[in-house]
Amino acid sequence: MNRFKLKDIAFSYSPDVSIFEGLDLTFDSQTTAIVGQNGAGKTTLVKIMKGLLKPSKGTLSIDGESIADQTAAQLAKRVGLVFQNPNDQIFKTNVLEEVMFGPLNIGFSRFEAEKGAREALKKVGLESKVSDNPYDLSLSERKLIALASILAMDTEMVIFDEPTTGQDFAGKEKIKAIINELKAEGKLILCILHDMDFAADVFERTVVLNQGEVILDGQTRDVFPEKNVLEKAYLEQPYVTQIAQALGYNDSFIHESELVAFLNNKK
Amino acid sequence: MNTMTLYVERNSPIHRLDPLVKLLYVAASILLTYILPEPLYIGGILFVTFLLLIIGKVFRNSLPIVTLSMFLIFSLVIVQGFFHPDNVTELFAIGPLVFYEEGLYVALVLVMRVLVMVGAFSLLILTTATDEMVERLIKKGMSPKIGHVILSVLQLIPQMRATMVKITDAQRSRGVETEGDLLTRVKAFFPLIGPVVLNSLNETKERSIALEMRGFDSPMKKTFLNEAKQYPHNKLIAGLITGIVILGIVWRVFG
Repeated sequence: MNRFKLKDIAFSYSPDVSIFEGLDLTFDSQTTAIVGQNGAGKTTLVKIMKGLLKPSKGTLSIDGESIADQTAAQLAKRVGLVFQNPNDQIFKTNVLEEVMFGPLNIGFSRFEAEKGAREALKKVGLESKVSDNPYDLSLSERKLIALASILAMDTEMVIFDEPTTGQDFAGKEKIKAIINELKAEGKLILCILHDMDFAADVFERTVVLNQGEVILDGQTRDVFPEKNVLEKAYLEQPYVTQIAQALGYNDSFIHESELVAFLNNKK
Repeated sequence: MNTMTLYVERNSPIHRLDPLVKLLYVAASILLTYILPEPLYIGGILFVTFLLLIIGKVFRNSLPIVTLSMFLIFSLVIVQGFFHPDNVTELFAIGPLVFYEEGLYVALVLVMRVLVMVGAFSLLILTTATDEMVERLIKKGMSPKIGHVILSVLQLIPQMRATMVKITDAQRSRGVETEGDLLTRVKAFFPLIGPVVLNSLNETKERSIALEMRGFDSPMKKTFLNEAKQYPHNKLIAGLITGIVILGIVWRVFG
């Protein structure tokens, strides 16, 4: 997949409260973070993209082909969505079967599904837990199972909903490595985030949503220095950007290593 | 989130009544339909109940509840009219089936009794906030555990409904088709019901731990959050209702 396009999208949950009105967005090969306060419309946006919600107006297309009439189940072959709460999907009694469930639904043979599931579990570091009951594992491990169950489906686009919530440093590093690996495989990556440090560290492009409107959209390096606009969306800058600005440096630092190198050069 | 209560907020004298008095009215009105099983008397109780619904400004809200009981009412009329053992006097016939006057009379009594029950309960639930009623019952000695069960069920059902939506979305994302013919829906049942049950069990466990953390089972005497509400003419109305029931019993025994 090269391009996912939303054009003139309108959506509301009730007639008197509009969530989106004339929303235009295009996602291409860049890894993209979608940030915004609670209620900004982030989850609604990805649900529309996944076919879980139908817009009242506008068009959705993948590489120019309209997907407006496809159900979420039909889109499952092309677009994967990793939900925030793994407990909303896990129902099998062992990890391997849980991860194989999606691939089997979209027409993989049993052999292909098992192969894909084992590879996905290896990617998330749970290859030794294939026979365990998912509910015997920790919440962060269950989140990785939910992630593996989408990776195993080998979709062209992968959307993450708050993947870092409940993850420790090692978990976040693992997710970062997976996102980079998926990007290298040519997949389209989209991620809803509240963790600005992770967004700055991992994603090439950042879209800031506020009350259903895109108020900032650009290269992550150009988005996070925009303190005033971010404040409008009740967002804070990544810590490294804040520290640099507190020290009086106006260059856009979004990685710790950049700031450290800059300070070392100044000595 | 939708709540499961049917309470309708209005400014009416019925809303201002003590929930226990309304509960007493429910019990008394139903009891009276058995003490005085004549259509005339039951009709009188029904009239008073509907009048109270009108005074409580909830008569229109009670109509959907009454409509729900129509299937039962219709069944009663059919079964009693055609098949009651005391049926003798023929009213009309539909082919080989004969409808009798005696059966119709029995059905009339039963239907009016059902309407009194539905009307009285509607009066109670439409004009009384559930938490007010539960707190009043606990103050009168009902176990706080039972009170908690009543309130949690009312909260849990909408919560489960919301969880069900999330779970359905998660499974549809993995290719589970939930829309379509019966077979498709049956197939989708297991991937959906598993997480719903497990989530509910987890939530219940977490809820009970959270309650214990806040001293729910403490043997200490509990202080109520809300001060005892004053209900004017409480005793007078409760006495009047009790008096009418006693009068009904006397009428039945000696009348």
